[in-house]
Amino acid sequence: MHESALMRRLLVRCASTRLTVALLVLLAAGVIGGYAHEPIAAVGVTFPLALLTLNLAAAAAIRPVFRSQAPLLVAHLALAALVLLAGFGRLSALQARAELTQGLAFDGQLLDVQAGPLHRPRLQQAAFTNEGFEIEYAPGLKRGRTRNAVRWTDAQGRVRRAVIGDHEPLVLAGYRFYTTPNKGYAPVFTWRTGAGDVQGAVHLPSYPVHRLRQARAWTLPDGTAVWVMLKTEETVIDPDKPAAFALPRDRDVVLRVGEERFELAPGDRIALPGGTLIYEGLRTWMGYRVYYDPTLPWLLAASVLATLALAVHFALKFRRQPWRSARPASDAPAGDAQGRPVAVWP
Amino acid sequence: MSVESLLLLPALGCYAGAGASAWAATGPRGPAPERATALLLAAGLLLHTASLAARWQAMGHGPFTTMYEILSSNVWSLTLVFAIVWARVREARAAALIVLPVILLLAAWLLAADAAPGHFPPTYFTPLLYVHALLGKIYLGLLLAAVGVSALVWLRRSRWGAQRLAGLPPDAALDELAHRFAAFAFVFDSLMLIAGAVWAQDAWGRYWAWDPLETWAFLSWLALASALHARASMRVPARAHALLLAAAFVLAFLTFFGVPFVSTSPHKGAV
Repeated sequence: MHESALMRRLLVRCASTRLTVALLVLLAAGVIGGYAHEPIAAVGVTFPLALLTLNLAAAAAIRPVFRSQAPLLVAHLALAALVLLAGFGRLSALQARAELTQGLAFDGQLLDVQAGPLHRPRLQQAAFTNEGFEIEYAPGLKRGRTRNAVRWTDAQGRVRRAVIGDHEPLVLAGYRFYTTPNKGYAPVFTWRTGAGDVQGAVHLPSYPVHRLRQARAWTLPDGTAVWVMLKTEETVIDPDKPAAFALPRDRDVVLRVGEERFELAPGDRIALPGGTLIYEGLRTWMGYRVYYDPTLPWLLAASVLATLALAVHFALKFRRQPWRSARPASDAPAGDAQGRPVAVWP
Repeated sequence: MSVESLLLLPALGCYAGAGASAWAATGPRGPAPERATALLLAAGLLLHTASLAARWQAMGHGPFTTMYEILSSNVWSLTLVFAIVWARVREARAAALIVLPVILLLAAWLLAADAAPGHFPPTYFTPLLYVHALLGKIYLGLLLAAVGVSALVWLRRSRWGAQRLAGLPPDAALDELAHRFAAFAFVFDSLMLIAGAVWAQDAWGRYWAWDPLETWAFLSWLALASALHARASMRVPARAHALLLAAAFVLAFLTFFGVPFVSTSPHKGAV
């Protein structure tokens, strides 16, 4: 008996609406702290949110106002669900980026991967081919719309095509592929040895933002270090008038292998000690943001439900008395001489 | 001078006139200044609507890209929301003493802002832009109305206010009215954040990333949530409630008009 009374007292303390205000302030402090000093952001946000969820669960269990005002209860439970879903989403989500040469298929290789511990990779089901893109530019090199043609084979073995970009990601096996401003030129090479041909592309720095340094070092399959530069000095995207992303007319590249320098046009080849390097030509590459979060539709549903339920709660509450003669609710103590309001909402 | 400016300047003049007549309406001169306030607000809104439409047609896009456009559209929407409040809730009319000076402050800033055209980024080609902006404007308009009504509690503590605002409802009634505006402001704030998150997911591949604008928008939401909870659970006096709402409005104001133009995050616009 004594124990249950103690539990009840503890529950009442946990359900305190004053505690709610204190925890909201703590959450604000956590957000500001995390904004100023990133390493504490996760704890600064997660800890108060966990306490707020406990506070809400306790309040929902014992406060009569939640039993008498169903929309208010729904709003708060949906908020708790939102917090839990966001937490589960972080644990099961994947964020990464990928770069894909025009004409090549995505092979599941990701860069800068951030995956939650509960994420189960299924990227092999998300194979697609980048078929090239179009991007408009306004004067001043201001980027306009991106249209990226992609192709993939669906589960039934049918070849599907789509144009993605800006607001339209490619969604395959739950993975969402978004085009990004990160894109550029890719010289394509074939490395020919007695064992066969290996084809690859070098993604030069993003264009046009890095248009003055279109060069990159990479390594051949036999370990030879190579440096490649796009030779053109052509202004491909005119900054003074509306333009579009395009390949330069002059597609020659400069190659440095050790102390040797080569200038190659598409189709040219050079003999190196380990094999023959053939410059096949110039293509484009697109950078993608890859995002996976199975909770997205549920997060939207929970947040809309919480807000609409709150709107219904307020509408019902305020309907009891016209706005023109708004007074504190009559089902609670009247306001005092100092204008103290009444508590009609927990 | 462009058609847009030719229409904007008299519109702002009407708003200033409405502010002056609202001031006079608190005096003993009867209903005449109130009628003048109504007429000037209506005339100003009509001219301002025409000015925004002229710019929209000239630019080929809505007023969403530069500080000038955002100020102009917000002066318009804040005035429109307050005009509706003024017409529908008589007890809130005296809030014009607070609301119209805030709007005129923004109007002065608008006159000083650069009216040059801005770039309409590719991420703006979506209906979510209009949904997000509309919800945000209703939110800020209702919050300003809440602040205006609640501030009357403070204003009539002054000698001037005690004389001119004596006919207003008691503090508790004004506080309840302010609470109602704040409650619906909170609903629209929440909807704005949801629409923004959906837009961010589509445009940038993440629904929330704690960029400066998102961080301050969330803090504004928390401030308003705290004000609503504090009023309900801690029996905060009307004057303290007015201060909490004013703090929430200041945060929201800085989020709307400060953060997007000083940060270099994606929310800056031209991405």
